[in-house]
Order: sequence, then C-alpha cells, then structure tokens
Amino acid sequence: MAITFEQVNFSYGAGTTLAQRVLHDITVDMPTGKVTAIVGQTGSGKSTLIQHINGLLKPTSGQIRIDDFELTASTKEKELVNLRQKVGIVFQFPENQLFANTVLEDVMYAPLNFGATKDAAKLEAARALNRVGVSEDLWGKSPFELSGGQMRRVAMAGTLASNPSVVVMDEPAAGLDPKGQTELLSIVLELKKLGKTIIFISHQMDHVVAVADQVVVMNEGRVVAKETPRQLFNRELSWFQTMKLDLPKAGQLAEKLKDKGVTLSRRPLDLGELAELINQEVGHE
Amino acid sequence: MTQAIKIDNLKYNYNNDQVLFDGFNLTIDSGQWVALVGHNGSGKSTLAKLILGLIAANSGNIDVFGERLTVDTVHHVREQIGMVFQNPDNQFVGATVADDVAFGLENKQIPSVEMPRMIDEALSIVGMLDFKDREPHMLSGGQKQRVALASVLALQPKIIILDEATAMLDPDGRATIMHTLQDLKARFGHDITFVTITHDMDEAILADRVVVINDGQLILDGTPANVFSQYDVIHNNGLELPFAGELAEKLDAKPKSYLDERELIQWLSRLNK
Ligand SMILES: Nc1ncnc2c1ncn2[C@@H]1O[C@H](COP(=O)(O)OP(=O)(O)OP(=O)(O)O)[C@@H](O)[C@H]1O
Ligand SMILES: Nc1ncnc2c1ncn2[C@@H]1O[C@H](COP(=O)(O)OP(=O)(O)OP(=O)(O)O)[C@@H](O)[C@H]1O
Ligand SMILES: [Mg+2]
Ligand SMILES: [Mg+2]
Repeated sequence: MAITFEQVNFSYGAGTTLAQRVLHDITVDMPTGKVTAIVGQTGSGKSTLIQHINGLLKPTSGQIRIDDFELTASTKEKELVNLRQKVGIVFQFPENQLFANTVLEDVMYAPLNFGATKDAAKLEAARALNRVGVSEDLWGKSPFELSGGQMRRVAMAGTLASNPSVVVMDEPAAGLDPKGQTELLSIVLELKKLGKTIIFISHQMDHVVAVADQVVVMNEGRVVAKETPRQLFNRELSWFQTMKLDLPKAGQLAEKLKDKGVTLSRRPLDLGELAELINQEVGHE
Repeated sequence: MTQAIKIDNLKYNYNNDQVLFDGFNLTIDSGQWVALVGHNGSGKSTLAKLILGLIAANSGNIDVFGERLTVDTVHHVREQIGMVFQNPDNQFVGATVADDVAFGLENKQIPSVEMPRMIDEALSIVGMLDFKDREPHMLSGGQKQRVALASVLALQPKIIILDEATAMLDPDGRATIMHTLQDLKARFGHDITFVTITHDMDEAILADRVVVINDGQLILDGTPANVFSQYDVIHNNGLELPFAGELAEKLDAKPKSYLDERELIQWLSRLNK
C-alpha cells in the first residue's frame, strides 16, 4: 500500500486562537514494500506526520492517499474503520497503547477485533510475542506491570499480531536493550520481505542505515530532504549541524580519523563497512 | 569518602512474582557517576524506585548519605535525589511547563522571588525556554524528556538518577544532557552523584563506573575500560560494547587491550605512520 502526502498542512487546535501550525506543505511519498525512515530534530513534526497515516489526525488542508483511500479534513470517523485495520502503529510511548488485563489478551485484541477466532488470535499473539522476545512467563501479567522495554515489546507484538499492510513505528528502539534493538531491525527487514510498507521514525542513524530504503528528513514541520541513506550521509558535515542530525557512528568515527590524518577512501555507513575500509586501507602502505 | 548510596543485602519481589533482588549489594560514593546497564527486565528501574522509597524492600537496608531509608526518613531522603523517570508522562504535575519546574522548587521552599530565574535557567539548559507556557502533555516526545530533565536540574539535588532519560532525545539533545552532567561534575565534584540507566553503551562509557545487572544480580562492576574488556560477558547479557569496542573486534590487526574511542583512533593513526 503506497502512501502519498499531497500539500499537507496541519495545525493542532486548528480554528482556535491557540492554533499551532506544525506541518507545512508536506508533499512526500512512501512507496509500497519499502522502508521509509523519518528523521529530524525534536519537535520537527515526525509523530504528527505519521498520525495522519491512519487518520488519528486529519490534515488541516491537503490530502493523504493511502492505497485507494483519500484522507482530507472532511473525512468522517466512520470511514476510517477499514484504514485502521490496514495500518498498524507502534506509538512513541508504548504505555499509551496497552490496555488489557493481561499481556496475552492485549496482543490478542487486534486479531479478535478483526474477526479471527479465539484460537487463531491466540496463535497469532503467541507468535508475535515470541518474535519480539517476550518470554511466556510474562503473558499472564498485566501489561502495566512490566519493565519499560518489556512494554515496548508487547506494544510491538500487538501491532504485528494484527498483520497490517502498513507498519508505522515511532522510535521503536527507545527502551530496548542492545540485543532487542538488533532484533527489532531484523523484524523490520522481515516485514519488508513480506511486502509490507514500513515507516520507521528514529534518532539513531545507525538504525536508519540498517533498514531504510529512503530517508525523509524533517525540519520545523517541513520535509527538507528525501533520498537514500547513501546519498544523505554523504552530504556536507555543516548540513548535519544545521539540521541537528548525526552521521551514523561509523561515519562519525571516520571523520575523527580524518582529523588525525587517516583518510579513508569513502565515508562508511556502518560498522562492517568501516572495519573493512580500515582493514584494507590503514597500515598497509 | 562519603557514601551517597549504600544498598546492603537487599531483597525484593513484586507481589506474586519470583524474587528479583536476593541479597543485592551496591555502594556508590559521593561524587561518582555510575552507569547502570542490563537487559530489559533486569531490575534497573526497580532498583531506582527502591532507592527513592517509592517501593519498599522486603528486607535489607538502603542508606542515603548515611541516613537509613525508612517510612520516617523517606521524605528527607527523596529531597536529596532528583529522578527522571523512564516515561516522562508519569512525572508531569504542572499545567504549564514553567509550573512543572516550579512545583519541585516550591516543595523545596525556594523563596518565590528566586524561582523565575531558576526556572528560566533550567529550561534554557535543555532548550525549552520558548515552551514555558505550553502544556506538558502537548509536547513532542523529546520535548517532554527535556522538560522532565529541566525539572530535576532546577532542584540541584545531590544525587541525580536518570532512567533512560535520553532515549527519545535527538543527537543534539543527548549531547547537551551529557555535557550538562559533565559540567555539573566539574563544578560540584564530590558533591554531585549520578546514576544513569541506559542502553546506550556510548553513553555508559562517559561514567566513572559501569555496573551491569542481570535479573537482579550484579554481573560486572568496574571502570568502563574494565567492564567493556569483557566482550563475551557483555554480549551474553544482551548488551554490546561501545562503538569503538565493537569496531576493534572486527579489525584484522587488533589492539592488545580494550581501547576507548580516543585511544583507538590514536592507535589507528600510529598504525598508519
Ligand atoms: N497535542 C499537541 N498539541 C499541541 N502541540 C503539539 C501537540 N503534540 C505535539 N505538538 C507540537 O508539535 C510540534 C511537533 O511535535 P511532534 O510530536 O510531531 O514532534 P516529533 O518530531 O515527533 O519530535 P520528537 O522527536 O521529540 O518525538 C512540537 O513543537 C510540539 O510541541
Ligand atoms: N509494577 C510491577 N509489577 C510487577 N512486576 C514488575 C513491575 N514493574 C516491573 N516488574 C518486573 O520486574 C522485573 C524488573 O523490571 P524493571 O522495570 O526493574 O526492569 P529494567 O531493568 O528497568 O528493564 P528495562 O530496560 O526494560 O526498563 C521485570 O521482569 C518486570 O516484568
Ligand atoms: Mg515524536
Ligand atoms: Mg527500566
């Protein structure tokens, strides 16, 4: 399911004296079967943008096309039922999306709601919980009696279990331990293999490099770049400073090496590439 | 050396859950910066809540600056600790950002003439001065985290506990917070103690000491260089080394011992001569 934003403007409290204009003339597409990463400094409008994809927020003007559905300011709530089934969102604060009495029931909710039998829903939920590494002894607990990272995992399982065509993740790595973060990245790639359209918000450029086909950079409510990770992270350093963005850690380290007189033949994107460049190019003159 | 926090033979479990801490010990000296790391569910936040007296141990003792934590002392103990919780939403009390910072100051009975300056100072450190009159709940995730940090900084507590307080900050925000901690340490020396809970090992390495826990047990405890020399133990506990450490592991020519980023860069530049 392809997603296209066309000249989208959005204000919180639109029409009131407190209106806060947050999105400005956003035109961008997020292609089917691809991972689109969204990056940008705190408050740049990432979470606001993605809440338009399932109609939680509606544009003040402009439109969003999700497959053959068109979301505008005048879209009615009841028209959104179908869309909500197709778009799964893992929110920035997982607590806000947990609600059931037990972990298992929480994750079973979506499949049940979308018409699965109880047994089928349980199977889906079990599979999703295992996939995100929530051990079985936690399934009977209240989702509110979990650690931060465990809650994040359960929220993610809830979204996976509903098997949406579009998966939106808003800083899904926050709170996950390093192993969990690596697992998350492999889940994203797995979802992509299944043909899903994925939107991935992150402040960690290493994660962006690991999964993204294209990166959308937001700044003060505007899209200021849309390109592949390779293109993006080859930009001038000063640009990253203006946008308050980082290079991936490999690129940062390469820049520091350069300052010490060790110049690599290109700016590496990840650990593997950096190690390879050093192995080939450093100390073998 | 004054002991800021002394945890002695601590036992704790949630209601019907299995035992989480079973005879846990940890002493943190005043002036120390301790990074507390461990996989999800290992007990880090629980430990923080125990130190703050938000939950009570089954047995064992917690002393804060030599004062035993009990029902009678809990308020006094808490006054000396500033904590930023994992989810900032759980911590907002004010109707506006400024009120939220003011709340803690009022509790500390700071004269009201001094408050505006202190509020502005704390908010400007985290870059949120322009949001002073906004409602905390209507902020972005990273903005919420910044405000939560400002509320704690304004109090100038003797102990600051940050529970993944930078998890949702942009790179700029993270760097600001780390610099702020380093500044405070330079300014207050032995009078300021930090416990930073984090999953970011490049943040942990900034501490004086790294403590690794797993299911309520202390696995490793030492200087960053010490702890991050233990590649296997770290990985077996769901963690990783700081970036430079992971890089060194992948090099054909490896340095003999664990090097931090600055040292590794130096080592590589010498190799190139
Ligand atoms: N409910 C709300 N009401 C009014 N303003 C809001 C609301 N939520 C967010 N904002 C404002 O809109 C702007 C964009 O916020 P948004 O949450 O989209 O940012 P973000 O890019 O996701 O940031 P972060 O990286 O910190 O999560 C911010 O300036 C924020 O203060
Ligand atoms: N309120 C609660 N009631 C019951 N059990 C809880 C509660 N909070 C946490 N737990 C359990 O206690 C264990 C330790 O949780 P804690 O929150 O201390 O972990 P953590 O190290 O902070 O993890 P994370 O990195 O995910 O934040 C976990 O197994 C968790 O499920
Ligand atoms: Mg956000
Ligand atoms: Mg925690």
